[in-house]
Amino acid sequence: MRHSFELYHRLLSVQLRSQLQYRFSFLLEMFSTAFVVLLEFASIALVFERFGHIKGWSLGEVAFLYGLVETAFGLMDMVFSGFDPQRFGQSVRRGTFDQLLLRPINITAQVMGSDFALRRLGKIALGIGILAYALALNPITWTLGKILYLPVVVASNILFFGGLFVVGATITFWTVESIEVINILTYGGSFVISYPMHIYQQWMRHFFTYLVPAIFLTYFPALYFLDKPDPLHFPAYAPFLSPAAGLLVWAASMAFWHFGLKHYQSTGT
Amino acid sequence: MNIINVHQLHKQFKVSKHRRGMWGAVRNLVSQDYQLVEAVDHIDFQIGPGELVGYLGPNGAGKSTTIKMLAGLLVPTGGILEVNGRVPWRERQAHVAEIGAVFGQRTTLWWDLPVIESLALLKHIYKIPEARFQHNLAEFTDMLALAPFLNTPVRSLSLGQRMRADICAALLHEPKILFLDEPTIGLDVVAKERIRQFIKQVNQARGVTVILTTHDLQDVEKLCERVMIIDRGRLLFDGQLKSLRDRFGGRREMIVDFTESYPDVAVEGAQLIAHDGVRATYQFERDELTASTLIGRISSRYRIRDLTVRETEIEETIRRIYEKGLLES
Ligand SMILES: Nc1ncnc2c1ncn2[C@@H]1O[C@H](COP(=O)(O)OP(=O)(O)OP(=O)(O)O)[C@@H](O)[C@H]1O
Ligand SMILES: [Mg+2]
Repeated sequence: MRHSFELYHRLLSVQLRSQLQYRFSFLLEMFSTAFVVLLEFASIALVFERFGHIKGWSLGEVAFLYGLVETAFGLMDMVFSGFDPQRFGQSVRRGTFDQLLLRPINITAQVMGSDFALRRLGKIALGIGILAYALALNPITWTLGKILYLPVVVASNILFFGGLFVVGATITFWTVESIEVINILTYGGSFVISYPMHIYQQWMRHFFTYLVPAIFLTYFPALYFLDKPDPLHFPAYAPFLSPAAGLLVWAASMAFWHFGLKHYQSTGT
Repeated sequence: MNIINVHQLHKQFKVSKHRRGMWGAVRNLVSQDYQLVEAVDHIDFQIGPGELVGYLGPNGAGKSTTIKMLAGLLVPTGGILEVNGRVPWRERQAHVAEIGAVFGQRTTLWWDLPVIESLALLKHIYKIPEARFQHNLAEFTDMLALAPFLNTPVRSLSLGQRMRADICAALLHEPKILFLDEPTIGLDVVAKERIRQFIKQVNQARGVTVILTTHDLQDVEKLCERVMIIDRGRLLFDGQLKSLRDRFGGRREMIVDFTESYPDVAVEGAQLIAHDGVRATYQFERDELTASTLIGRISSRYRIRDLTVRETEIEETIRRIYEKGLLES
């Protein structure tokens, strides 16, 4: 275990060094991903400009949720980029995944160590910026509980999104062609939960409550931080289920990953 | 004691029928519409420590699939598979620590790192003691002439250089078994020769068991005493190279130059396989006809200026085995 961890660091530093060898494309990607986030947020802000409130939420409140999800997703995307389904599917197809299996180290640590998308820093910085903007528009009354709980929520979201990445990556063992569908699962999932859940139709909310427990990761915690009443009338402890939901999704994804490894077919070249 | 033990080993691939488009992709995810490919079809073999075995077969025969199962990359569909007393896929980490593998088509090294740094990283991965590492590195650098490009990033190496670096990388941790899947693919004559010598030396001096797949029969002829031939997943031959030639290399060739160009130069007992101007090439079975009888038959009808008799090359032998399925009965 310690050996795996130490190697994870070594492999990462190799990754970072080779990313920095291509300085230009690095900067370009960093700015372009950040720019996409900025555009998306600007379009939300424009909608609020016209309507002021959407179903009881102000721009500042939505920005808080949005910034939270964006930051967590960006951090996850950086740490778990080895599991990015697009990238991982490619390494399966090209046979580089075989090369990882040939090494006597824990395979999960190796996949994690196979990429570290430093270029996501742009996205993360912007997510934090949006969070800061949200707090400026809509000051939160901070309590000790809230201060301590915020990093827990971020960490839980990282685990949750990381789980989605792992599931997506595992699916590419069977079908690399379905990458668009998998992307809808991960990126679409993060998009959907960046908005307050009560604006969605009931079936969709149920989906994100009982099937993929995303609602506990962002929406309920956001209600707690923003001191808003719960229109869905869940128990008062609902905002604090975030770590449980994150761990649950992560554990399920790991089980699926190990199942996938048993069925890995390699490539025929 | 065998170091590799394979009994009724079987690997079946499910190849899904791809549907196009978005909806097709969704259906691919859930439905089970696939074709089964029997890549390795219940094969048996044992390999003892220190052997150097050539594993041959035409494209798509199942060589790489077998090697991948032996190396712990693929889980067999069925059968018994033991390497070094372990089931490779079940104890993958312990297993791969004791083997080396080179897949000629791709590299284990880090693309952007200089060769020496890739090797140093492997030292940590395999927990090779510093002294052993330095000792092995010096020896392999010398034998494979790696020195000129040790500091070059892997992405800038030529194919031959990369292959040598990869072979070095596969051996630094002193594996007991070395799997080589087409280690000479795409290399020039000199590079091939250097790699052959290296493999031979590692096998003899260090006692490493080697299993080698190749399409270059020179590799086999120069390195292997034992060959195994697989086709369409079935093991067709397993034995000494020499006995393969004795059994199937029966046909010899006689090339005859006549003094003039005859329209028809066929003779009984031999097969005319080429006839171009004054030159004709006959093939005949070693045990049916002697060369002197054939010369007698030809010279009784035509005037011979010159002739040579050729033994069938191993290449020819193998080609005939692949093409005619000689071993299938
Ligand atoms: N990952 C895979 N998925 C599906 N089918 C595969 C896969 N790998 C191999 N096959 C099929 O299994 C059969 C055996 O392939 P394999 O790669 O073992 O052949 P090979 O003997 O190594 O051939 P070559 O000399 O061309 O390298 C082929 O029919 C191939 O198409
Ligand atoms: Mg092959």
